[in-house]
Amino acid sequence: MRFQDAAKDGRAVVYAAIQADPLVARAAELLSQATLGERILARAVMNGESTDADRWRRIFPSLFSSASAERAVEILAVSLAVADRGEQVRSQVRGAIVEELTARLLARRASPAAVRRERRILFDGVPAEIHPYDVTVEAAGAGEAFDCKWGARGINADVLHQLDDARTHALDEDEPLNVAIVVFDAERSCRVRLDAQTAPHAQTRLVAIEQLDTLAGPRQ
Amino acid sequence: MAGPTIGALLESAVAAEEALAELGETIEDEWSYVNDLRQAWTDRLDEVAAGPTGAREASPEIVDAIELAIEEAGLVHDPHRAIDWLSTLPQVVLLAAESLA
Repeated sequence: MRFQDAAKDGRAVVYAAIQADPLVARAAELLSQATLGERILARAVMNGESTDADRWRRIFPSLFSSASAERAVEILAVSLAVADRGEQVRSQVRGAIVEELTARLLARRASPAAVRRERRILFDGVPAEIHPYDVTVEAAGAGEAFDCKWGARGINADVLHQLDDARTHALDEDEPLNVAIVVFDAERSCRVRLDAQTAPHAQTRLVAIEQLDTLAGPRQ
Repeated sequence: MAGPTIGALLESAVAAEEALAELGETIEDEWSYVNDLRQAWTDRLDEVAAGPTGAREASPEIVDAIELAIEEAGLVHDPHRAIDWLSTLPQVVLLAAESLA
């Protein structure tokens, strides 16, 4: 099993520009320190129709009267900046934020150099997948591959097959590879989505919005 | 005059979920998911409404928060965004209900 940079095709070039947007890094940094409530605020605002900050402060009153109110103010501002983008860009930025957030949380427990983005995983005698993995942890004997989604609806058969295929091919080479899907949405919604999937996912870990901080904890 | 109970506000959120589901299920491929999602969240909202939190009188701050969240959901006219809100609205409403109850 070996990891490799994804091909720099047109999609990769366009998406790299989105990933490099300072707004993505700012949002991911704030969300890496956020409480669950603050992450729900970000999800609602980035999904929302209104761009009136005062309205959102009234919808989340407990966050703006708490000890971490200053962070909530910053999260609201960055979320409104995302919401202010056009629909297509907003969607791409949200996806990039979940990937960057995942990478930052993983880098708290793995060597930052081992946490990589947009990588393919190659196995002997197996045709390579076209789509790269969003985030990988490339540690000898302890590899990990993550697919990241903004919402539960992003969970689909292709993603589940790709993750499980990688895991089983790695096992064939006696290389343990943990696979997970990270979703910036409630576990309840993710479970509903997963329950309807026939693609193999019993060995794919779900990291929903409630469990994001576990990414920074021991490898699972 | 006493304000509404949190349970009564959550009933309004259930109605908003129904409206979002009606919009979301126009995406034909997602009909089953939308309805399963609606069921999962309305069950949860009903459960909280029937429990100790639901019986409490809501402070003006909670009333405002939940009513505005429902209003925000009502602004959604795109079926794809409605599916996102079907999951988002209950999280927002339950956060308000449970954090300030």
